[in-house]
Amino acid sequence: MAIMCVALMVVFVIRLFYLQVIRHDYYVTKARQEQEKRLVIPAQRGEIYLLDDGKPVKVVMNQTVYTMFVDPSIVDKPDQVLKAIREVVGGNTVKGYADRIEKKDTRYQVVARQVTHTQAELIRKRSLKGVGFQAESARIYPEKSLAAQTLGFVNFDGIGQYGVEGKFDKALQGTDGLLQSVTDVANVPLTIGDKNIDIEPKNGQNIVLTIDRSVQSYVEQALADGMKQKGADGASAIVMDPNNGHIIAMANLPTYDPSEISKIQNFAQVNNGVVASPYEPGSVMKTFTLATGIDMGVVKPDSTYVNTDYIKVDDRVISNASKGQTGTITLQHALNWSLNTGMVTVAQRLGTNNTIDYKARSTMYSYLHDRFRLGQLTGIEVNGESEGRIISPKEAEGNAVRYSNMSFGQGMDLTMVQVAAGFSAMINGGTYYTPTVLAGTIGADGELKPEKDRPAYPGVIKSSTSEQMRGMITTARKAFYAAKDRKGYEVGGKTGTSQTLVNGSYENGQTVATYLGYGGDTKPKYVIMVQVSGKNKNFAGNKDANPIFTDISNWMIDYLKLQPKA
Amino acid sequence: MVDRRPNTAANGRAIANVRRHKPNYRIALYMCLLMMLGLIVMYAIGPQRAQVLNQAYGFDYDSTYFFVKQAVSLALAVGVFFAVSRVPIWWWQANAKRLFVAGIIASAVLAIGGWLSLGFVQCTLGACRWFDLGPLGSLQPAEFLKFGVLLFGAGFLAYRMKQGVVNDLYKTLIPLGAMLLLVALFVIGIQQDMGTGLVILAIVASMVLVSGVSARVGALLAGSGLLLGIVMVLIAPHRLARVATFLQGDNATTAGDASTYHITHALIAIGSGGPTGVGIGNSVQATGYLPEAINDSVFAIMGETFGFVGLVIVLILFGALLLSLLKVADQLPGSHEKLIVVGVFGWLAAHVVLNVAAMTGVFPLTGITLPLLSFGGTSMVFIAGALGLAFRLSSYTVHSTVNEGERYENSRSGRGLGRTRYAGRSRL
Repeated sequence: MAIMCVALMVVFVIRLFYLQVIRHDYYVTKARQEQEKRLVIPAQRGEIYLLDDGKPVKVVMNQTVYTMFVDPSIVDKPDQVLKAIREVVGGNTVKGYADRIEKKDTRYQVVARQVTHTQAELIRKRSLKGVGFQAESARIYPEKSLAAQTLGFVNFDGIGQYGVEGKFDKALQGTDGLLQSVTDVANVPLTIGDKNIDIEPKNGQNIVLTIDRSVQSYVEQALADGMKQKGADGASAIVMDPNNGHIIAMANLPTYDPSEISKIQNFAQVNNGVVASPYEPGSVMKTFTLATGIDMGVVKPDSTYVNTDYIKVDDRVISNASKGQTGTITLQHALNWSLNTGMVTVAQRLGTNNTIDYKARSTMYSYLHDRFRLGQLTGIEVNGESEGRIISPKEAEGNAVRYSNMSFGQGMDLTMVQVAAGFSAMINGGTYYTPTVLAGTIGADGELKPEKDRPAYPGVIKSSTSEQMRGMITTARKAFYAAKDRKGYEVGGKTGTSQTLVNGSYENGQTVATYLGYGGDTKPKYVIMVQVSGKNKNFAGNKDANPIFTDISNWMIDYLKLQPKA
Repeated sequence: MVDRRPNTAANGRAIANVRRHKPNYRIALYMCLLMMLGLIVMYAIGPQRAQVLNQAYGFDYDSTYFFVKQAVSLALAVGVFFAVSRVPIWWWQANAKRLFVAGIIASAVLAIGGWLSLGFVQCTLGACRWFDLGPLGSLQPAEFLKFGVLLFGAGFLAYRMKQGVVNDLYKTLIPLGAMLLLVALFVIGIQQDMGTGLVILAIVASMVLVSGVSARVGALLAGSGLLLGIVMVLIAPHRLARVATFLQGDNATTAGDASTYHITHALIAIGSGGPTGVGIGNSVQATGYLPEAINDSVFAIMGETFGFVGLVIVLILFGALLLSLLKVADQLPGSHEKLIVVGVFGWLAAHVVLNVAAMTGVFPLTGITLPLLSFGGTSMVFIAGALGLAFRLSSYTVHSTVNEGERYENSRSGRGLGRTRYAGRSRL
């Protein structure tokens, strides 16, 4: 018996030697495989600020919310669970939550989302079996739908969509940290072992936009009021600083609430039309034609031509929308009355022998596309920017008829941000500032670190041309639309009423109203472009877009505390 | 009717002439060393265990709960050890039958109580093994039964030896077999405790082995024991699964199966410990990976904590304790006393061998504690009581080997020349 006993002990010792000495490495590997876990420490998504009188204010922040789930297989008091859900998180339930609790053969059923910490604690206090919470980070929007299309939103997978959230998704996301550690069976990291890795998460960049919260808010209200008054279906506006390209406000109605993205009904709601929806701006483009003519030295504001309300280009006859201003008139008069014939005349004078020849078309193209940078991406930091299109004279379509139409704003596709930025260059002395919404970043110290200036392109037009254009544009506004303007300020602008292209042909029953203008004291301080539209509705730049411009312009003068000229 | 009551006067005569001398203190020494080792492990992994249970089942264990409870159990066990060693052996011999019957009755009450779902019976997964004693804790009657079988079996076999009918089929083997069957019915059948059943079988088998059975009868008994074991395995699916797991070894395909998981993790714990272990407090397997970390799997956790060196020390301590028992048995003049000590040896050996073999993956899992080391009161108290019997009897050894049965070759006297003797002859 003793031999047996000793023999067995020897067998055990041999076995242990095999397991612990010979196979030690194998078992260490096996142990690591199950004991070591890599836990991702999520980086905090960067927050987004708007400016308010030059100071950053947070408008998109993070909040820890909880997803409430049940394990139906261990729920023992479904009535109590149901009661708790109804009493505490009634507003956050997911569809069919009551049925989900009954699915006894499952282990995980989500019953409520976006539950707050307080709500979760209230339910936890009830000590219900089989009820759990998962913490996750969610965006909250204290300003609701303010600037929603510029901000964009974060989808359920935590990925930024549209707007700035989409454009700067990577920077906002930051880099997740990594914790590789030996854990217990419930994945709780232990301090045991020397192979632990701990990489701190790098939180996402906090971004400050150039959008001014007050201006944005006022613009949205002004658009809403205007739309309501005119019965429009949609309205957009952009307000920018012509002296640095900063966009102060940018709005499109109807919009959406980024905290309720499940309620978004169509793409148009989240789309930032100002940068993403090119259209034919119409007569507001007459200012660009005049600027080109003046800058080339072929016309002056008081240059005259004979207006017959009709002008023949190749085989087409172009007519004026408002007729009766016939006879020898100045180009200023043509601009005041928005006469197409005057603009075609300028185009003709750009060519040899008063024809819109290749030289004339090349000059126009060079100004519109290359200098005012229309029909090309501005690089605005909002997702979904559209390029628009200006047809080059080299293309077959870029013929004289096309360019005569372009001289009064037809036959080109441009976004509002392109037009507003080009217009800024026209009135600020001739420097094109790349439009931007990015003011800078905010670091851990809470200080605003300004973004370096975006490229500026001086010499778009001569400063004398710019001076003359300001004169023409203010005169054009004063001719009909300045009655409600604040006295003592320089406010100018141009109306535009454009037919819309429906299935390739111009639809007379549906016109888009535009007003493009600027305001300031001794120099331009803001550029405003307003657009009003509606399905099968006729809107006119003077009646429908101009009142909104006037409303915003007058408010801007107060907000910017501009001093009136003596 | 044959009187099977052990004739203490007749049986005890052999040692009644022996002067009581100092007991074999090594038994106490090895026992206490093992107990201390177990306590160290409880101290090291108790907090993790408490945390796992608190987290998974919502208990509210203090981090020192297991350490304190184990310390209390050990104190109780040491108390029982010395108390038993104070009781004259004839008292146990005279009451052996009563103890055995009490054990059977307790098991029967447990079976009926479990069947009727009475409050004082603790059942887990259909196996009712425990009496719930409320604030006093719980009691496993199977442990009591082991004690009863040990004493009653020893008395019965000693009486038959004296009659010279150990090999008689009707007088010895059939009654012994009937007793074992009855015990098996309760322990393996109703309580579904294969481990305890095997231990009881080992107690009886080791006693039978030294009672002088013929080779033919021995083979017969071994064969029927094996047959019984196989039947017991086949009628219970979970046992079959454990055997299957064992036979598949490392290549087990039934991943996720509980016993495969248990053995795989026991091996990971032991293997990852390496030659010298990860050190006290650094056990990771005890944080919930290895089931029963403080009970049945304590050997594996010790392997992880103390490594090869530590486990060899544990095995040496157990081996030394077992050999001490054999030596005491060897040197006892009376066959009845000899059988008792051999039974204690069988009891302890079965626990150690079955547990270590299961943890090292050389035998299927039986779910048995590692005596003196595992957490748990009842098992600890009864094994200490059994060792107390052997300790008591170690005071009555004689110089030379007096042995009708197996001889212990390297036998050395348990009583050196310099030993003092008790002045008077004592009653056994």
